[in-house]
Amino acid sequence: MVNIGTIGKSVVIKGELCASEDLTIEGQVEGKVELKQNILTIGANGKIKASVFAKVVVVQGEVHGNITASEKIDIRDAGSVDGDLASPRVAIADGAHFRGSIDMQRGKALDVKPGDAVKPVVEAAKPASPAAPAAPAPTALVAPAATNAPR
Amino acid sequence: MLKWGSRHADGPQVSPPAVPAPADAVVTSKVFPRFLAAVGHAPAPALLDIGPVVGSNVTYFGERLACKLYVEDLYSDIEAHARRGERAALASFFATRLKLAPESVDGILCWDLFDFLDRAAGQVLAGQLARLLRKGGALYGSFGTTPLELTHYTKNVVLAEDSIKHRVSPATPVTRTVLLTRDIIKMFDGLIVAESMLLKSSTRETLFRRP
Repeated sequence: MVNIGTIGKSVVIKGELCASEDLTIEGQVEGKVELKQNILTIGANGKIKASVFAKVVVVQGEVHGNITASEKIDIRDAGSVDGDLASPRVAIADGAHFRGSIDMQRGKALDVKPGDAVKPVVEAAKPASPAAPAAPAPTALVAPAATNAPR
Repeated sequence: MLKWGSRHADGPQVSPPAVPAPADAVVTSKVFPRFLAAVGHAPAPALLDIGPVVGSNVTYFGERLACKLYVEDLYSDIEAHARRGERAALASFFATRLKLAPESVDGILCWDLFDFLDRAAGQVLAGQLARLLRKGGALYGSFGTTPLELTHYTKNVVLAEDSIKHRVSPATPVTRTVLLTRDIIKMFDGLIVAESMLLKSSTRETLFRRP
């Protein structure tokens, strides 16, 4: 069974978020998001000000920052990205907002080998209840503030 | 007596006929395949599209050229200036609008953007674009040859290398700036015309190369 974590829409995270399972973000994240071998979905309510690294990135919400994906970036019709994209495959739906550059040069995108250790800063991003208060994120979830400023 | 070129404020204004907003049309291009071939020669080309982002074009260029694509929607800048009644400020705006390094791209897609600019803004933008092109690089543009009132922008959806679908969206009306071929050549100083084709739609498709 595939684990899919969810960051609820009332959750705000500032810092570095890493996971080794698929993740859906409906809340707000500032800093860096890294799921090198998994699928990251930024939900319709998700607001990201971060550099994003994943195998596949699906954007239905807002992203301010650069996105790197080893397989595919998919910006859906309600999605909005202000930043640079790097991936061998990029899909942008009609109606999506995009401003930045798109790097589809073969062999230049994030190269993730199966043996690559993705440091589990987060063992597993715990599903957050949408009703949960917007409290500071648990320390296990957040590494020291990221230096990568979004574009 | 009126000076040559001045407007008579009180007299009847004769507006040029407006371009009817066409339904989505598919046009055949003879110059666009040459553009793709020129850009395709570079091993890892960088492309600048100064039109609005079109998802299927991104996919097309990615699969065809495996390129790096910069999207800078200058049409939206023009529209924003037009709505504020500041078209005259476009020349100075374009002087600093594009932040890419000189000689950093292999291909530039201008589409029909210059139809919406006055000569001063067109001159500035053309200079900026020419500056960005690498040696051997190519620039594709189309230029209307009749002074019509433009009431819509055209999104260019690439269907195949010689086939482009035009999708229209409303624009703040403006009279098309008609440039003579020699003026266009002068404007893109430092580039040479590699191909030029007058279409049945009275649009001149032009491919420039940087020698």
